[in-house]
Amino acid sequence: MLTADYMDGRSTRVRVVRLEVAGENLVVSGEDFEVRVPFAEVKVDERLGRAARRLRFNDGAFCEVRDLPALDYLLSAQAHRDGWVDRMQRQSRSVLLAVIAFAVLAIAGYKWGMPWAAAKAAANMPAAISEQLSVQALRLLDDGKFFLPSGIATDRQQALSVEFHALHLPEGGNSTAELLFRRSPQLGANAFALPNGTIVVLDDLVTVIDDDGEILATLAHEEGHVHGHHGLQLLLQSSVAATFLALYIGDFSSLLAIAPATLLQATYSRDLEAQADDYAAAVLKLNGRSPTLLAEALKKLSVAHRQEGQAGYLSSHPATDERMRHLRAISGSLSTSRSER
Amino acid sequence: MNQGPESESHGHNTSTRAPELVHFSGTGAEYFGIWIVNLLLTIVSLGIYSAWAKVRRLQYFYRHTELAGSSFDFHGKPIKILLGRAIALVMLIAYNYTARIQSPWIVVVLAGIAVAMPWLLRNSLRFRLYNTSWRGVRFHFRGSVARAYRVFLLNGFLSIITVYVMAPFMHQRVKAYQHDNSWFGQTRCSFHARAGQFYKIYLVLLGAIVVFGIVVGFSGIGTAFIAISQAQKHGGHPNPIAVLKALGVLYGVLILMGISIGPLFHALITNLIWNNTRVGEHRIECNMSPIGLIWITFSNFVLVALTIGLFIPWAMVRVAKFQVEAVRLVPAGDLQEFVNTEPDKISAVGEETASAFDLDMSL
Repeated sequence: MLTADYMDGRSTRVRVVRLEVAGENLVVSGEDFEVRVPFAEVKVDERLGRAARRLRFNDGAFCEVRDLPALDYLLSAQAHRDGWVDRMQRQSRSVLLAVIAFAVLAIAGYKWGMPWAAAKAAANMPAAISEQLSVQALRLLDDGKFFLPSGIATDRQQALSVEFHALHLPEGGNSTAELLFRRSPQLGANAFALPNGTIVVLDDLVTVIDDDGEILATLAHEEGHVHGHHGLQLLLQSSVAATFLALYIGDFSSLLAIAPATLLQATYSRDLEAQADDYAAAVLKLNGRSPTLLAEALKKLSVAHRQEGQAGYLSSHPATDERMRHLRAISGSLSTSRSER
Repeated sequence: MNQGPESESHGHNTSTRAPELVHFSGTGAEYFGIWIVNLLLTIVSLGIYSAWAKVRRLQYFYRHTELAGSSFDFHGKPIKILLGRAIALVMLIAYNYTARIQSPWIVVVLAGIAVAMPWLLRNSLRFRLYNTSWRGVRFHFRGSVARAYRVFLLNGFLSIITVYVMAPFMHQRVKAYQHDNSWFGQTRCSFHARAGQFYKIYLVLLGAIVVFGIVVGFSGIGTAFIAISQAQKHGGHPNPIAVLKALGVLYGVLILMGISIGPLFHALITNLIWNNTRVGEHRIECNMSPIGLIWITFSNFVLVALTIGLFIPWAMVRVAKFQVEAVRLVPAGDLQEFVNTEPDKISAVGEETASAFDLDMSL
């Protein structure tokens, strides 16, 4: 026998009732009343943990049932079928599978899906948007005195620019990127690629490296970022990562969502740096120069940053040693393949 | 079921009835299944399932909350929530896009949001309350649109131009608007806390922030001191490991304090609000321990971090149980006599847009 609390949907009055099945009907009988409802018209709530389940009737009345096993027994005789989400939620095997599927999806999405989608989106971003983003970013940095006017002589600037634009690119033609020279005590020896393709070169980079071939190698690396739309890609990725983490952490705490999103971004840039390095190496080879030039430039930069205790270039360029080794390996294979010929 | 004739025959002082405790029976292990399936289906459906996930989540928590032997229920329709989310997303994108590229259109977007927000907040209250029921009787929100604009826009503006000196007053006005206009069936709720009481709790908050600021300042000095004393010991160079250790301890203290301020304030203000809310003649009591809430928040933080998030369902259940079970209802009469009203149609748009902009007012 199954007892339940019957509520008529009009007041909070509780009536204790008995539930029984008689043929096609559900019979609800209390002390002073009896209701017969065709079972087909009864809506049964899905199971949610051990919460009381409700059998809802068309007139707004319902029965709140606390004896879940007895209700299951009653329903099983009525060919009632639980929804698939309901079953998935409470069977330990499917929950375990959901955990694994979620982990696989999350890792795959993070490692391949998100960069792929962000790269696609970045490559197809209307030029007007990347132009506007870049102009705004540059104006903010200039107005905030974060960037100061360059102290490098104009003819040196011109010479570097001419040399840079003379480089042949692997996809054919020459770079159309505009070179801008700025000075920044905070950022020290550094260079940036803006989403619209403008490359900002900071004075310290020129003075620290102090070798035109190596400076050009660094610029080729930045051209790699421009070519791959890395700036936009990162921007999109960090937005998506933040959204995803907010979803995962859910209502629990927004505090937790902020920190990891920034951390995730740092590891992303490692892949992008490698891409830009490979691009620079290809440019250098194409123009009859050695990729070790970039390795040398990186070495000088990392020494300079270590001395001055600046984080700038290094924090976004985590494994300088690894990158130098990789570049030397590329140039090694280049020289051997040449000697074989 | 507890029929009340005995206690009524005992006398005129109705407040002598035994308080009804609120009981929460959900468990983290049970909720875990719902949570992970929600997450998985949300990702697989590219976010569309999130509306269904929200309904399941709310139903899990509402249906495990029991008062006087009967549980609460949530009736919101996922499709309405989905529509609300779509509108919220459009507003969010418009705002983010114009903010990122610093377009002059941002003025229009912000003005649009400011004008729409009070209306949306009011709708969100209506949706949430209308879709909440106990023993089959629904809650309602009947605050007027005009009052919503006065409370949210005018008071918000006043609180900003007075450098938040009026923020506690504003908070009191919002809560009064919210609770004075809430109904349970045909029974009206009322709110009795005065602005002065809000100011007292905000002073506690201010005190906690000042203490926190002083500790931050001193910890900076302390770290420098440790670095210098280490440097003297080791002949000129600070021992980086000792400095890092000192920094680690100090950051630990800072994080602990940072985590504590929120729950401390939340517990105090929640107690004040609910202790001054009545449903008809029935009083509500709320006695949430600030220390308890700080402990739960802090331990949840640590456990969620250590389990890369897998503890989240347990964390949510712990918080819900702690908060819900701090509340009691002191009946002034029979709890069987509340009467329902005719249902009216209410949209979910308000609720979704409000929570997307993080303005959702927690009950």
